[in-house]
Amino acid sequence: MKKQKSKNKGGKILAVIVLIIVFIFLLFPLYWMILTSFKTNMEAFRFPPTFTIKNPTIQSYKSLFTVNNDFFTYYINNFIISGLVTVLTLFVSILAGYALSRYNFKWNKFLIAAITAAQMFPVVSRLISLYGIMSRAQLIDTRAGLTFALTATLAPFSAMLMTSFFDGIPREVEEAAYVDGAGRLRSFVNIALPLTGSGIFACGIYTFLQAWDDYLHAVTLIQTDELRTLSAGIALRYLGELSYDWSLINTISIIGTLPMLLIFFFFNKYMVKGLVSGAVKG
Amino acid sequence: MKGRLNNRRNGDRLFSAVLLIPILVLSIAFILIPIVESIFLSFQDYGSKNLISGKPGVWNNFENYKDLFRSGKIIPSILITFKFVILVVLIQFIVGMALALILNSNIKGARFLRSVMMMPWIVPTVISALIWMWIFQPQYGIFKYFVSVITGGAVTDFAMLNNPQTALWGVIIAALWKLTPLMTLLLLAGLSNVPTDMLEAAKIDGANAPTRFFKIIVPYMSPVIKVSVTMSIIENFKQFPLFWTMTGGGPNDATQTLAVLSYREAFVSFDHGSGAAVTTIWLVLMILVVWIFNIAFPKEEMD
Amino acid sequence: MKRVYKRIGSIALSAVMALSLAACGGNDDEKSGSNKTTKQEEQANKTEEGESASDVTLKFANYAVLEQGYTEFWEGVKKDYEEAHDNVTVEYVSAPYNEIVNTIINMAASGNRVDLLFGEISWVPGLMDTGLASPVEDILSQEFLDTFYPNVMEDYEIDGSHYGLPLYISPFVLYCNKDILKEAGFDAPPETYDEMMSMADEIAKLKTDDGNKIYPFGQTTASVPVSGVALNAMIFTMGGRLFDDEGNLSVDNDGFKQTFELLQELDKKQYNPQNAKLKDLRNLFALGQLAMYYDQSWGFNGISSINEDAADFAISAKPLKGGSGEGKSMLQAHSIILVDNGEEQTAALSDFVEYLISEDTLQDYLQNITPAYPATKSMADMELNPVLEGAKGSESEVISQPFIPEISDIDLELASLAQAVTVNQKDVDGAIAEFKTKAETILK
Repeated sequence: MKKQKSKNKGGKILAVIVLIIVFIFLLFPLYWMILTSFKTNMEAFRFPPTFTIKNPTIQSYKSLFTVNNDFFTYYINNFIISGLVTVLTLFVSILAGYALSRYNFKWNKFLIAAITAAQMFPVVSRLISLYGIMSRAQLIDTRAGLTFALTATLAPFSAMLMTSFFDGIPREVEEAAYVDGAGRLRSFVNIALPLTGSGIFACGIYTFLQAWDDYLHAVTLIQTDELRTLSAGIALRYLGELSYDWSLINTISIIGTLPMLLIFFFFNKYMVKGLVSGAVKG
Repeated sequence: MKGRLNNRRNGDRLFSAVLLIPILVLSIAFILIPIVESIFLSFQDYGSKNLISGKPGVWNNFENYKDLFRSGKIIPSILITFKFVILVVLIQFIVGMALALILNSNIKGARFLRSVMMMPWIVPTVISALIWMWIFQPQYGIFKYFVSVITGGAVTDFAMLNNPQTALWGVIIAALWKLTPLMTLLLLAGLSNVPTDMLEAAKIDGANAPTRFFKIIVPYMSPVIKVSVTMSIIENFKQFPLFWTMTGGGPNDATQTLAVLSYREAFVSFDHGSGAAVTTIWLVLMILVVWIFNIAFPKEEMD
Repeated sequence: MKRVYKRIGSIALSAVMALSLAACGGNDDEKSGSNKTTKQEEQANKTEEGESASDVTLKFANYAVLEQGYTEFWEGVKKDYEEAHDNVTVEYVSAPYNEIVNTIINMAASGNRVDLLFGEISWVPGLMDTGLASPVEDILSQEFLDTFYPNVMEDYEIDGSHYGLPLYISPFVLYCNKDILKEAGFDAPPETYDEMMSMADEIAKLKTDDGNKIYPFGQTTASVPVSGVALNAMIFTMGGRLFDDEGNLSVDNDGFKQTFELLQELDKKQYNPQNAKLKDLRNLFALGQLAMYYDQSWGFNGISSINEDAADFAISAKPLKGGSGEGKSMLQAHSIILVDNGEEQTAALSDFVEYLISEDTLQDYLQNITPAYPATKSMADMELNPVLEGAKGSESEVISQPFIPEISDIDLELASLAQAVTVNQKDVDGAIAEFKTKAETILK
């Protein structure tokens, strides 16, 4: 009995050590990024690096807010696009998820296979034809075009996720409602949908984050600066051929991450719950 | 009675079809058609010239594929891609599992740690690449400093991304940093599915930790493990921005994955046919991998 | 049920909050004196309003317009030109440097052709091959074209026509840190590779004030096409060639091999920062950690954007001589590539190009922002950026490269070759043989 306890203790110490190492790995880069953003370029380039800042400066922040403020256009655009994509993706994938979960037809198997394959296909290879299709539809260089392209990319995964959410809800409730004469649409909207609340929510956040992260679609489909999104804008404006302004780059990285962090912390609980229940059933 | 059932069946069919129309339209227009077009392109001589003049490509008798093998580019790319995917998925799984087990035990502050842990996942990929480039910077990067301190000054100019032997590891580290949190979160979710009373019972019966892990935890978690690992395989197979930003495929093509190679062929050399050939090979491999994975770990019916 | 709506409501709320916060940020910026945003808005309005029949919009694809060091100049060009020409609007099409050629090709494929592109000489053959670039003779007056130096125009010539124009010449020069050279006991920059090597041995012993390594010599070898261009230039200075005059691959010459032997030696002695991009070298040079390096003359803009005081220690020199080479390098110029979009467009385009490549427009820019040499005889007397004094003459001592549509891809392979003999430590002959195989498949 005593031996068991000491073994437990050893395990616990090991666990704490692992925990510390992993968290240093996960968090140090963020700390380093914050630190660098408050250094001048000349100090940032010092070696060995300084772990405390000699002359903390908010020069990079100032420059970001005054001179380089086009950044905020990208920001707002990214919010708009990610928001639109999320709404559209949820709409599409809730419908599809419900259909795949509730109705068993021969085509389901085929559809699920197709959807799984669709999310595997690399974006790079679709870019050329995607561009052609978009321009034929007059959607090049528009928010709508980018939204559709991203939705098409993200919807398959969301649909699978939604399918598993609906799978997790017992059919009997709807069945009863249907027999009571509630009709298919009503039993879907009024009964099944509300029960997947946290799932929809998680799916939405996941989609939003994925859309927020997009680079290749935006670079290809958007040409006007007023419509450009975050990652493409950063690459364009701050990763130019001229020089590395590491201090500014780190500042942008922070500002570019911060709002998502806030949103995430705010909704963390639901997101975890939702993604989790989706994955478990999937 | 039978008629009514049939009626209902037809109504279901119609309703289900209507619900599926939006995703079908989107997928066909923006995924399926481009995929098919790209596969066609891979058998043609097709460059920017065709694109601009609108001239259709010419069937070139598998030349694109033959050239990829002849120039010796494709095989190393495939190997590098596999090395990357296997290493990232494996390490990610092990670390994620360890972290999930620890955070699931009643350790203090687990909730808080779980939120903090997710931070890297939220950082946009392009920015993650930049953060790690800055850390690995060959002249004044912090990593070089750590290496020189740890080795007691024996290695003073370690440059992760400049050395063909280590460059891939540089990108792997960045990928792990960004993707391990999600894996952990999903596994953590799966852990909550494992019935605690069963674990307690096993403990009382004298089953040691590894036995409990493999005999109880893993079986109960297998659906989650399967989903999260499949997700991770797909995600890493497709990884492009990390490579493109951090190494551009170099040094000496040491990090030229299929993603980088196809982009280079299609959009740097403007040989769209060849780029399409790379992505076709890539797609076939990916389907193969996911298929094999699915056979190796068949879906267990939990109910 | 209620809770779900509550949650959705709170997302919406937070989104609105985030947006309005960002919008407030924008307002503050305007108040704090920078009226750049407002200017852009005005221009946007102008584009929308004035779209009558005789109005012309020139689409100008330009990667640099958004880059910090250049924005002011390019916005100025647009503003001044539009003020003087009521019926013309200059519309910038922007994309990252690596993506811009791709972007305009995609645009053209869907019938949306730009009128001109700002870019590199090495982009010309590819764009000519796709049929997008037009001969400048079709668009500009002969009189104007005659003002350009003929040897410079040679690099744009394909079958008797020219498919681009230099905006200004920015040859490869050797930027040197005169303080470091002095500390190592040298008064003047080297002229040959041998001199450079013996100087490098001395410089390698030095350290910066805070104890950091000083690299004696920098040559870019990173995996980007422009590194290949720089390597190609270095091969030229050593008397080597990449192609024969007919444009066939021809790398079995001493100069070619010696270049990579030298790179290997530099790497073994750790004289050259490994696998560096030009912008890495600029940073190191700006920090006083690099004594000499090859760069296009405009690269100084990058140096001074890191260290404002760089002008105090930076001097330039002509490319080095070595092997059988006379130090003749490769022509580099920021270039304009024109597209023929019908008479109405080209008339306006011709006027705009003449405005752009004129002393009035370029004087301040070349002298203070982007050091480079004028490309036309009419600007011969223009005052140059003082940092370029030492390299004077390098703009005309150049060898022109035959027309190779696949040049960008070959450039990338050159960079891989350089990496093979440096970071990979492969033997030079073997690596060159590998390069040949790859290059031959590219050229077919």
